[in-house]
Amino acid sequence: MELVQNFPFITIIMALFSGPLCSVLKGKTAKWVNTVVLSLILLMSCAVLVFTLQTGEAYVYQMGHFSAPWGNEIRIGVLEAFMAVFFSVVMLLCMLGGRREQMEELEESKQNLYYVMVGLLLSSLLALIYTNDLFTAYVFVEINTISACGLIMIRQNGHSIVAATRYMVMSLLGSGLLLMGICYLYDLTGHLLMSNIQEQVALLQESGEYHIPLLIAITLMSVGLAIKSALFPFHSWVPDAYGYSTLSSSAILSSLVSKGYIFLLIKIFYRVIGIDVVRGSKVVNVLFVFGVMGMIFGSINAIRESNIRRMIAYSSVAQIGYIYMGLGLGTANGLIASLFHILCHAATKALLFIAASGLTDVSGKDPDFFKLTGSGYRNKLAGVAFTVGSLSMVGMPMFSGFISKILFAEAAYETTNKLIPTMIALALSTLLNAIYFLKTVIRIYTPSYRAGIKTDNRTIEMREQPLKSVVLILFIMLNLVLGLYSEPIVNTLMSGLRMFS
Amino acid sequence: MGVCILIPVLLPVIAGALLLLPLQRDKIGEEADQRQSGLSLLHRIVGSVMAVSAAVSLIVAWTGADSFTWFELMEGLPVYFHIDDVGRLFITVISIVWVLVCFYSFTYMEHEGKERRFFAFYLIVYGILAALCFSGNLVTLYLFYELMTLASMPMVLHSGTHEAVMAALKYLFYSLCGAYMGLFGIFFLYKYCDSLTFTAGGTLNLALADGHTGILLAAVFLMIIGFGAKAGMFPLHAWLPAAHPVAPSPASAVLSGIIAKVGVLAVIRVVYYIVGSEFIRGTWVQTAWMVLALLTVFMGSMLAVREPVFKKRLAYSTVSQVSYILFGLAVLSQTAMEGALLHVVSHAFAKCTLFLTAGIFLYRAGFARVEQLDGIGKKMPKTLWCYTLAALTLVGIPPTSGFISKWYLAQGSLEAELGGFSWVGPAILLLSALLTAAYLLTIMTNGFFPKKKEPVAVSARESGKENADCAGAAGKQAAELTEAPVGMLVPLAILAAIAVLLGVFPNPLIRFVSEIAASVL
Amino acid sequence: MSVIILAVVVLLPIVGGALIPVLPFRKRTQMMVYTEGIVLLNSVLALSVLLTRPEDAFVLFRFTSNLTLSFKLDGLGTVFVGLISILWPLATLYAFEYMKHEEHEKFFFMFYTMTFGITMGIALAEDIVTMYCFYEMLTLVTVPLVLHTLTREAVLAGRNYLYYSLGGAAFAFIGVIFILIYGTSPDFTAGGVLDLDKIGSRTNLLLLIYVFCFFGFSVKAAMFPFSGWLPQAGVAPTPVTALLHAVAVVKAGAFATMRITYYSFGTEFLRGTWAQTVVLIPVIFTIVYGCSRALKETHLKRRLAWSTVSNLSYILFGVALMTPLGLTGALTHMVCHAVIKICSFFCAGAIICQSGREYIFQLDGLGRKMPKVFAVFTVSGLALMGVPGLPGFISKWNLVKAALDSAHPLAIVGVAALMISALLTAIYMLTISVRAFVPSNADRYAVTQTAEKGVKRSKKKAERKIVPYDEVRDPGWMMILPLCIFVIAMVCLGLHPQPLLAFFGSIAAEIH
Repeated sequence: MELVQNFPFITIIMALFSGPLCSVLKGKTAKWVNTVVLSLILLMSCAVLVFTLQTGEAYVYQMGHFSAPWGNEIRIGVLEAFMAVFFSVVMLLCMLGGRREQMEELEESKQNLYYVMVGLLLSSLLALIYTNDLFTAYVFVEINTISACGLIMIRQNGHSIVAATRYMVMSLLGSGLLLMGICYLYDLTGHLLMSNIQEQVALLQESGEYHIPLLIAITLMSVGLAIKSALFPFHSWVPDAYGYSTLSSSAILSSLVSKGYIFLLIKIFYRVIGIDVVRGSKVVNVLFVFGVMGMIFGSINAIRESNIRRMIAYSSVAQIGYIYMGLGLGTANGLIASLFHILCHAATKALLFIAASGLTDVSGKDPDFFKLTGSGYRNKLAGVAFTVGSLSMVGMPMFSGFISKILFAEAAYETTNKLIPTMIALALSTLLNAIYFLKTVIRIYTPSYRAGIKTDNRTIEMREQPLKSVVLILFIMLNLVLGLYSEPIVNTLMSGLRMFS
Repeated sequence: MGVCILIPVLLPVIAGALLLLPLQRDKIGEEADQRQSGLSLLHRIVGSVMAVSAAVSLIVAWTGADSFTWFELMEGLPVYFHIDDVGRLFITVISIVWVLVCFYSFTYMEHEGKERRFFAFYLIVYGILAALCFSGNLVTLYLFYELMTLASMPMVLHSGTHEAVMAALKYLFYSLCGAYMGLFGIFFLYKYCDSLTFTAGGTLNLALADGHTGILLAAVFLMIIGFGAKAGMFPLHAWLPAAHPVAPSPASAVLSGIIAKVGVLAVIRVVYYIVGSEFIRGTWVQTAWMVLALLTVFMGSMLAVREPVFKKRLAYSTVSQVSYILFGLAVLSQTAMEGALLHVVSHAFAKCTLFLTAGIFLYRAGFARVEQLDGIGKKMPKTLWCYTLAALTLVGIPPTSGFISKWYLAQGSLEAELGGFSWVGPAILLLSALLTAAYLLTIMTNGFFPKKKEPVAVSARESGKENADCAGAAGKQAAELTEAPVGMLVPLAILAAIAVLLGVFPNPLIRFVSEIAASVL
Repeated sequence: MSVIILAVVVLLPIVGGALIPVLPFRKRTQMMVYTEGIVLLNSVLALSVLLTRPEDAFVLFRFTSNLTLSFKLDGLGTVFVGLISILWPLATLYAFEYMKHEEHEKFFFMFYTMTFGITMGIALAEDIVTMYCFYEMLTLVTVPLVLHTLTREAVLAGRNYLYYSLGGAAFAFIGVIFILIYGTSPDFTAGGVLDLDKIGSRTNLLLLIYVFCFFGFSVKAAMFPFSGWLPQAGVAPTPVTALLHAVAVVKAGAFATMRITYYSFGTEFLRGTWAQTVVLIPVIFTIVYGCSRALKETHLKRRLAWSTVSNLSYILFGVALMTPLGLTGALTHMVCHAVIKICSFFCAGAIICQSGREYIFQLDGLGRKMPKVFAVFTVSGLALMGVPGLPGFISKWNLVKAALDSAHPLAIVGVAALMISALLTAIYMLTISVRAFVPSNADRYAVTQTAEKGVKRSKKKAERKIVPYDEVRDPGWMMILPLCIFVIAMVCLGLHPQPLLAFFGSIAAEIH
């Protein structure tokens, strides 16, 4: 066994233990520890990715060399490694981009706690990506929930506490359902390891027994994870949670946390149950319908929202809808589209949150839509970044959104009865996205003296916030890379998917 | 030699266009002397251009080459001139009337002002009319038909009052509406005819048209209505009574006498030279056409009887009389067609005379209304005599030319096998002739034998207020009224004389038109 | 070598335009020379490309193996490239004079020049993806031009324009993907690229998607339910309305519908299906609808904009006939209408610029003061209504010929619509000219009064001062020169269209 093969495990452990370490450190030290840990994890994940790409097949890593069913194992393929790299990149950038807000908005005594939460969150995300064991997955889902709650609550104003409570309630509901689903499945198959379960499920399927319990298990797990990842009817916690927490939290929560759950769901579909069974159970169709509805209603809510951060949060609901729609298509290409959209949305949404905070900074910290009038001139880089993010979300060519739109559309053409709904949903959602995002873009480039609105006259140059500027530029580049050089990425995802199940 | 056809077309158009250019604009109207000298220069130029082009067009028409392709508007759409007998007939009538009215207007336009503009458009319209008469195919005809509408419109709005502008726009839009209906039909004919070149008897390709008869008939009907708009046929007749009272009298004269006839020319060309009379004989198109024509004949006369404004009354009369011609064409028989062509000639001269007399009354006395003309015969006997002759022609009293034409019209319709129309048509024509007598001859009788002693001055003052726009010289005392100036009387007399003499010596003309009719039917 | 020029003519104005606000111009003249230089150079390059006619395609960029940005010159592209590269330098010249008094000139010319390149990109696009990309970009770079004044109206108009256009593109996108999947190649090929074996029995699906795609692209061509943005966008400075909203942008929409109909989906498949009926109905309706709205409109530029709505549907009508003749007619009208409408918009711009009057009832008698401009305006009006001898007639004739030639029962309705529209055009164009030249003295007083009232009402909107009647003059040569050129062009086009028609015919002949 090569050294690199240990890295996934090591990254999880590192992230996990950076948390307790930070809890005894001072805020500033914790900050550095956190940054270093994140960077290390990024580097190690990259190494893993390179390794898997070279070997071209997935490997199973048994912790402590205990074999199943007693031991706990993780499974690493190209897809997992790629996701890990991407998540850690986005995480790192989000942390750096929100650095000033972390210092300003959080109480000094709580700052180190923030890094505890971030460490735990990352470890749970990585674990969700790598794990090959349903119970481990459940454990890390809970860790994830708790740390995410902490991230929301730590800002400690009225809004964020309410938001955290709502998040907690919804999330725990989701976890509960997930747990019930896992129990059912365990009951049916007697296994917790994913590969074992799949064998058993296939046997069950052949024998034709226990159809309904199996269906219930799938449904419970799907619904549970859907609640946690804010699929349409369960999205009520989103705007508060993303809108009122501190910047890094919003960015991380919207771009990563919900994606972790979705990745887990994909894993359950493909590796635990087997996609054929899932397709047969029609659960995908339900997900498809809710995904499409999410795309439309999320956008409509966003149009009605005048708080820019809540608007972006509602936009997340719409984008999650896209991902579930792709998943709901039930085809491999649909899944590729969803996976690509996970990347695209993670890169774009974080960019939008950070850019929006840059814009509100020069508008008296007020996220109100009208207060942003002309802010694109006062903070030029944030304006450009917001424009890029918006165009990407709308699906303009050159940016990442365009590619994911194409992938969704191409995937839809493989299906028969879902083609027209998908197409119309894509078109409508593009239009709706355009309405609220570009309305905002026009607003930030309307000089305030023209609109007759009094605004803050503070301007921010790039030099004043070097870290944020660099982060914004990196995110813009990430977006362009996804938009312009998508083919290698899509190929990687495809090869990853092949060795996934 | 075919190029010669272009001379009478281009010469007046270019001369007119040059007149429109803003050269020496400021000099005219500054002082009386300068204005006078400028005017006489203008008159000399216009007169000579007019005379030359009329002469050339007559020479070209009666002697010169007979066809010429100018250029291709598009692949297969040449602007093509070809002189045939119908064209000759029309260009002759037009040239005579145009020259005479031109000399009349030298005097008349003094009180309207802006002579330069008027004469410029007057010349341009003549050139376009010549081209219309010489047109050898339908597209050329349409081209100049639209240009004529556009160029004659400024003559209507000449005075620049609100009413004039509105009337001009009305004229424009009615004409264009008609023209587009015509164009609609042209598209269909282009598809289903062998060519759009005028050929006696028609060029419709019956094999090609087979199965599309319904749509083709509809298209032809639209064309008749559309080109009928210029001829004042119901339902697109409303521009005539609006345009005539506000236009200067020479303009009304040519609008009624000539331009309305161009509509007739277009209908003749479409029906007899492209579609062919056989195609529509006995179809609903013929019936509907006759109904519309007769309706217009009757309605025009009735409205004219009720109308107190002199020029408006004449306008309604035109509506009615031109539809005589259209009825004659609709019958689709040889005699009726001869009658129609004869009526074209007779009405052109007679109606011009009538409008010119109306102009003289306006010019001398500012009288616009019929009741003001009581007793006018005492003051202006010569004018009223000319009026009388023309009126008799229009009513159709022998031996005037109107009698001949109406005789042929009635005979033609009786001969043709049209069922009820054979006798309804003549009956309505007769009825309308009676009405014509009623509305035209009463003016004459009242003019020579006024009911009251001196009613003129009073009503002139009263109606002078009402018609301040129309009556340039309103309020002139009746005592000052004298006979019209010679410059106006001479053209008037010539026109009236032609109208009558054509009835006395009709044979050459009848022979000529019967040849035309025989060739197409 | 010459293949690279294909990319150069697209990129040069984009890059050159983007540099305008960055470059340190000391005087306005320098900026003018630079801008006009770029535009002129690009036009010359483009025209030289038209002469050399490179056969090959130039691949600028590869998104993925089947998504590329590549350029190629073909017959249809030639028409559009020729059209815009002749009109753009003239319009830029006019814009210098017009924009003298406006703010943010640099940004204006930046986007104005960039639009040139992007429109080129649409014209030269080799495949449907390239066209779609540039189509979207066209929306983005022209929105700032509509927004230019940044007044409330402008922002509203810009937003509407954006929503309409992007929404349309979103629906067109469906068709784009369809071609990518079911076409033998994404490249435009005369006669279509659909792989009929792949489609099998999903014919109705194909037709539905074509309808989506047609409607989507026709949003830019302002077809009926989606025509609202165009008149609204009239708040933009006149050079924009004239060049973009009468030629470049809206024609790009029409051009795109031509591409998808004749070069992607293929007419053989579409002709006579229900899809053709579905697209013909709104097209025919728009022909009349646009004219009627123009008639009702009292604002000069908006009236012309509604007229554009109607005239664009002439082009779409030709496209929707789905015959080679229809394409010829559509192309003819595309060129003819471009020249005519840019001319009348320039007249309107000159009138607004010189007199400060924007409403038609304020124009009474101005013909006396600005005879040249109004004479040109009248000629353009005559051309628009289709007087023989001017270009409007040529295109109308060709369209109708195509309509009668196609066996579709709606075609005759379309011909009737064209005629009604011609009449309405005559009414709304000539009324302006007549009243401008012959003010009716009787109600001069009433007119001035209503005019003043109108001004008070629109005071906030129009910041231009109304010039007293007696001080109104014809504009300077920079505005008159393009007008004269356009008039000459119109007359030449109207009297001698054969070479052009023959060329269009040869383009259309490639389609079976």
